[in-house]
Amino acid sequence: MENMQAVNNFVAAYLKKKGFKEAEQLLEDLQNKESAPIDFHNDPELAKFIHRFSQSEDDVARYQDGYSKLRSWTYSSLDLYKHELLRVLYPVFIHSFMDMVAKGHLQEARTFFNNFREDHELMHSRDLQKLEGVLSQSHLEEMEFARSLRQSKVNIKICQYSYDLLLQYLHKTQSTAMLGVINEHINFQVSSGQPSSISDDAEVVTLIGSCQDTANQINQKEIHWGLLEDSLEERLEKAGGLLSDSEKTEEENKEGDADDTKKRSVESGKQGASTKKLKKEKALNATAKSARPEASTTPAAPRVKAKLPLPLMSTEVEQSILEDLRNRVQLSSVLLPSVSFYTFLNTHNGLNCSSISHDGSLVAGGFSDSSLKVWDMAKLGQQGGSSILQAENDSTSSEHVVGPNGGKRSYTLFQGHSGPVHSATFSPLGDFILSSSADTTIRLWSTKLNANLVCYKGHNYPVWDVQFSPVGHYFASASHDRTARIWSMDRIQPLRIMAGHLSDVDCVQWHANCNYIATGSSDKTVRLWDVQNGECVRIFIGHRSMILSLAMSPDGRYMASGDEDGMIMMWDISSGRCITPLMGHTSCVWTVAFSCEGSLLASGSADCTVKLWDVTTSAKVPRNEEKSGNPNRLRLLKTLATKSTPVYSLQFSRRNLLFAAGALSKNL
Amino acid sequence: MSIVAKETIEVIAQSIGINNLSDDAALSLAPDVEYRMREIMQEAIQCMRHSRRTILTTDDVDGALNLRNVEPVYGFTSGGPLQFKRAIGHRDLFYIDDRDVDLKEVIEAPLPKAPLDTGVACHWLAIEGVQPAIPENAPVGVIAAPSNGNTHEQKDELPVDIRLPVKHVLSRELQLYFDKITELTLRKSDSALFKEALVSLATDSGLHPLVPYFTFFVADEVSRGLNDYSLLFALMRIVWSLLQNPHIHIEPYLHQLMPSVVTCLVSKKLGNRIADNHWELRDFTAKLVALICKRFGHVYNTLQTRLTKTLLNALLDPKRALTQHYGAIQGLAALGPNVVRLLILPNLEPYLRLLEPELLLEKQKNEMKRYEAWRVYGALLRAAGQGIYERLKIFPPLPSPPGHTIWKSKEKVVTAVPNKRKASMEPLEDEPALKKIATDGPIGSLALVTTLAPSGQNDAGQPSSSEKKTANRVGKDGQTLKKSAILNQIWKDDLNSGHTLVTLLELLGEGILSFIPSPEISATAAIVCALLSKAIDLKL
Repeated sequence: MENMQAVNNFVAAYLKKKGFKEAEQLLEDLQNKESAPIDFHNDPELAKFIHRFSQSEDDVARYQDGYSKLRSWTYSSLDLYKHELLRVLYPVFIHSFMDMVAKGHLQEARTFFNNFREDHELMHSRDLQKLEGVLSQSHLEEMEFARSLRQSKVNIKICQYSYDLLLQYLHKTQSTAMLGVINEHINFQVSSGQPSSISDDAEVVTLIGSCQDTANQINQKEIHWGLLEDSLEERLEKAGGLLSDSEKTEEENKEGDADDTKKRSVESGKQGASTKKLKKEKALNATAKSARPEASTTPAAPRVKAKLPLPLMSTEVEQSILEDLRNRVQLSSVLLPSVSFYTFLNTHNGLNCSSISHDGSLVAGGFSDSSLKVWDMAKLGQQGGSSILQAENDSTSSEHVVGPNGGKRSYTLFQGHSGPVHSATFSPLGDFILSSSADTTIRLWSTKLNANLVCYKGHNYPVWDVQFSPVGHYFASASHDRTARIWSMDRIQPLRIMAGHLSDVDCVQWHANCNYIATGSSDKTVRLWDVQNGECVRIFIGHRSMILSLAMSPDGRYMASGDEDGMIMMWDISSGRCITPLMGHTSCVWTVAFSCEGSLLASGSADCTVKLWDVTTSAKVPRNEEKSGNPNRLRLLKTLATKSTPVYSLQFSRRNLLFAAGALSKNL
Repeated sequence: MSIVAKETIEVIAQSIGINNLSDDAALSLAPDVEYRMREIMQEAIQCMRHSRRTILTTDDVDGALNLRNVEPVYGFTSGGPLQFKRAIGHRDLFYIDDRDVDLKEVIEAPLPKAPLDTGVACHWLAIEGVQPAIPENAPVGVIAAPSNGNTHEQKDELPVDIRLPVKHVLSRELQLYFDKITELTLRKSDSALFKEALVSLATDSGLHPLVPYFTFFVADEVSRGLNDYSLLFALMRIVWSLLQNPHIHIEPYLHQLMPSVVTCLVSKKLGNRIADNHWELRDFTAKLVALICKRFGHVYNTLQTRLTKTLLNALLDPKRALTQHYGAIQGLAALGPNVVRLLILPNLEPYLRLLEPELLLEKQKNEMKRYEAWRVYGALLRAAGQGIYERLKIFPPLPSPPGHTIWKSKEKVVTAVPNKRKASMEPLEDEPALKKIATDGPIGSLALVTTLAPSGQNDAGQPSSSEKKTANRVGKDGQTLKKSAILNQIWKDDLNSGHTLVTLLELLGEGILSFIPSPEISATAAIVCALLSKAIDLKL
């Protein structure tokens, strides 16, 4: 009995130590009641087990030993179940490491870490880099990433058979250390039937801090992703239906010509191409017209009411936009866009960002010397003829010679920031520019007056990104302070603050209906926020590294996000799931953009290419059919390589001409 | 345990004035230091990404420090990428190559060009999905290959940067050899050992890895040591030896060598003492240049043209010093008679007009200057003479009987006597001159007079126009009548060279005749005289 008491005490102490409060409570209850004594006292196996446990409690070598055994067992397991079992290794690995650090065995922890880190380098290199620095208990507590890992459990989907295999192994080897780690940090979701396919493990690769359940819960919320009521496109379609055919073609010809002359003035110097284009474009317009009725037969996006009061649009502006829409080239996988590339020269590695206005006539560059420079491409083209470089030297136009130095400049210099400018964005009509800087401020500039109008202060740390809403007036910003904020042009205080990301918010993008914004973060998630109430309504999990760029499809149904490793993910906003990853880029994806009717996705990367992706097929296929379909539905249509210019920004004009910009860099 | 060693912490502590840091404290600080460093690097990477870059710069680290309200690290924001060097004896220890900069050099250096302003250029990357074949776009065929290469570089950019300086590993022996040679060159270039070294440089087969170092050494030392005559000479000898070495493939380094070699040829001042015989150095370098042109002229077809252009510019610029002119003439002359004929002879007349006042005692009081002028004159004479010599060597044998020629030359001796007298009035020149004259004929003495005169520090023997006249007359009187038959033939045969000779004679006087090869002397002399007479007749 004495012996039994000792065992009892020991078990209680153990449970207390490990923090198994419920179990402890239960044990106490059991002991108090003495009604249904567990027979672990009499079960010699269990007693031995517990005995060994107590003996080797602080023996760190068990981790090393246990892990290496588990690892070799996993690698030699059946191929069919191997990848499922392999998923278990990573959480076991990092938690073993952290356990060892927490117990103060730093030397052993370090050797353990270095021995096995190679296995996980491919999938989790950034996490490993972070963890590598953890060298003491205090670091574990201080470091947010480690803390969130410790607090939450990892969900792993696993099939029944693999689960049984694993249990069997753990039981057989009596590797208590591993068993402990797995019990403590892994939550198995056992499913019957066949093991899942390798590609379906998006959730596993990201160990997010917040619990998976909360994410799932958030993703249950309702989302109205439809387009705004009474949008211009809608009006155009209605108007198009009313016009008789003869009128239409007449009008079209007229406008086609007007369009071309206009374009020529913008892109003069490309005369040779334009005559050919003229014919083709007309033909395209005709086909577009004929295609439009078909398109309208497909279920149109639902209409939603705007939750924000929207600014009014003047009729002239409305007219010009309508004209643009009428002359839009209908792009598809067989008809790729023309790409006009703006190359920044002599930037001396100082260009941080670039932005192109919606009609492509203005190009802005934000520099690390705190300046913002804006080029008017229409003026350059008129003066210089074929050689733009020459035009820059010759440019004596008084409007361009602004700025304190009064020297000949081809651009308008905006000075006011006191830190590197990290982002710039044009208002939809091109009359305002917003720029965000490391000096924690956002500034509003007028391109008409060439002056700074407002300085918005609110963020406490560098503002990484700022984006105008599709209707103008409102804008969103993303910052190192882990918040995104919504502003309006007429208030110097933010309207909403979106907090929830676990790391820097790196990029921000508006939804087409202005009711939502999406934010991409260094915590490898994309979140969707309701602008009206500031709540997080979706968490998109699946990226393996920090998210650099976001784009929303014009119909509001899909979202694309590009990350540091060159992966682009297409998300279904309503379900919060990844449709498919688009792989092809080999370096950071700086920018992504949907074409105006949403059939193409363009992406620009540090690997000096612009890639065009076909996204129509997937967009038309309903969700339930997708499962059975070929996983690589979204295909790469074209890779356009620049000589050695990383692509910083992309912009489809309303007529579906693609503008791209980047800084020529020789030392790549 | 952590990558920061305990000792490092102790050193840092001492540097900020904490001398008695306990071991325990250092030990527990080390991991924390590492942790903080990693934190900062992580944020630096964040800053890098938001500057749309894939290469981490010092600015990013400063940005990260700024985020934490820490003062940035000063002194590293020089712009360009950092150059790392490997510490000797360590496999993975690197340091930044931070060279001492001489402030004086920085101040004296011309202002660098202002950096170009940022601009935007526009082109079509694609037209309806097809990339037009314009220079702005990457060539279509090789799109796949370079993009792959690029990404590789991007991914391991840093290692590549580090590896560069150590790609070329020298064996210890070669390092010693190099050090020894450079030391000899710098300190004891007149020792016998240096001669041995030169021989070794010219013959050893294993020296190829050192060639870039030697070229750099030469270029470096020449630019620094223009005042040190013996050093320059030693350096040129090294170049000479390297060129001689059949095992060395020196071609790729020629572009680095040529500027220093040309400097030694046409620099205004070589050496800072009067005793320095920089003429000799220039002569030697001229030979060197000629050798290079001869050996590599066919590989680099622009080599000779560029060289002659430089030299000709030096020669034709009246503002340049006479020493520079001398070097240029020597260099051109060494390149062969064709160069002389094409480049020097057409410019001879205007140049001599410039030179003449410098030669005369009355006009140029500075003895040094006058001496230099005479040197230049001598060089010019030699160059022109060599040119004409080569020309005349290819003359067709004359049909006249040998006896005739002998007689002719004898007659010339007679006729030339007064001329010689005039010249030999000066005390210094006769003896050596006369020995040569015995075969060459007396007219040669005048040439020797002119060449020797400067070294003898006298200003006599200068062929004034009156002298020329007499000489011409002498020739005319003596030979016109007898040689008309041959004359006609020659006239047809080589009108050009005859003309050249005539002009030369007019400009340089009879000095030029000493360069006419002796077997043909009589005949040519005759021709020349005949030509002269004709020319004079025509003029008259």
